[in-house]
Amino acid sequence: MEALAAAIAVGLGALGAGLGNGMVVSKTVESMSRQPELRGPLQTTMFIGVGIIEVVPLIGAVIAFLILFG
Amino acid sequence: MPESPKLNIGIFYFDLSTISMFIITGVILFIIARLAVRNLSVENPSKLQNVMEWVVEFVHGMVASTMPLHIGKRFISIALALILFIFIANLLGLPFAIITKHTEEVTLFGYTLVSQETIDKWLAKDGYDHAPVLWWKSPTADLSVTLGLALVTFFLIHYNGLKLNRTHYLRHYIEPYPIFLPLNIIKEIFKPLTLGLRLFANILAGEIMIKVIIMAGIFGIPFLMAWQGFSIFIGGLQAFVFVILSMVYIAQATVHEEQ
Repeated sequence: MEALAAAIAVGLGALGAGLGNGMVVSKTVESMSRQPELRGPLQTTMFIGVGIIEVVPLIGAVIAFLILFG
Repeated sequence: MPESPKLNIGIFYFDLSTISMFIITGVILFIIARLAVRNLSVENPSKLQNVMEWVVEFVHGMVASTMPLHIGKRFISIALALILFIFIANLLGLPFAIITKHTEEVTLFGYTLVSQETIDKWLAKDGYDHAPVLWWKSPTADLSVTLGLALVTFFLIHYNGLKLNRTHYLRHYIEPYPIFLPLNIIKEIFKPLTLGLRLFANILAGEIMIKVIIMAGIFGIPFLMAWQGFSIFIGGLQAFVFVILSMVYIAQATVHEEQ
């Protein structure tokens, strides 16, 4: 059961963050094609957003490791 | 996961591999920075000087994109130190690792580094006739290092918020309504926590992935090369994200938009 719990924690975290990251990047590409001169600030904002989203699956992975080995 | 050598003094446990890697990172960074500013020249800059100038300009632009420069210029040096330190620290674990095998207790000047209990624990496992001890790794693959770096940011946020922007900084705790006070406090605590956890988890995941690929033996070499290349990118990106998020958090606390 522990392996199952770890798998669910990692899998659902990765699913949600994957969808979220996809939305962020696709909207950034859209905005960049509309206004190519705003490329720099848009990329910076995108990286901030991606960084914030990324924390969720990573915390999920840490929890999974704690479940498995802790 | 291999053990790390732990020095036990009183109630504190000092992770010697993390501390030594932290110092090695600092020494490497110091040497690179000193070499870059040796023989400074306007007409005939050396290659390293050009690289360093690009880095400083990059950090300058990064800080300028988050806050007005008359506030931001005092943070450029700390941002530069953080981004270079984290980037070098992320890269150190990539090329190789040093793991020693132990079957007996390891002591240094009378202090136990690897206790008999941990060795017995490893010997009890299947397929182990020794206890592996990890000496060379990324210092940022340790939670205490990344949380320590995040603590620097935490201190900077609140010190500068109180010093430069006191009324608005204190007001934002009870905005939009005083009932939001606990939520705002939780938000402030989670800022450095997520900063540290993101960096730690990314680098640790990279090192675990390298260990998993190495298990595949000779067929893993192309994957290993690809993953190491990707890890360089991840290391740079994480250093960038750490510093720019620090600057955004500092800007939130210190900059007040005039209405």
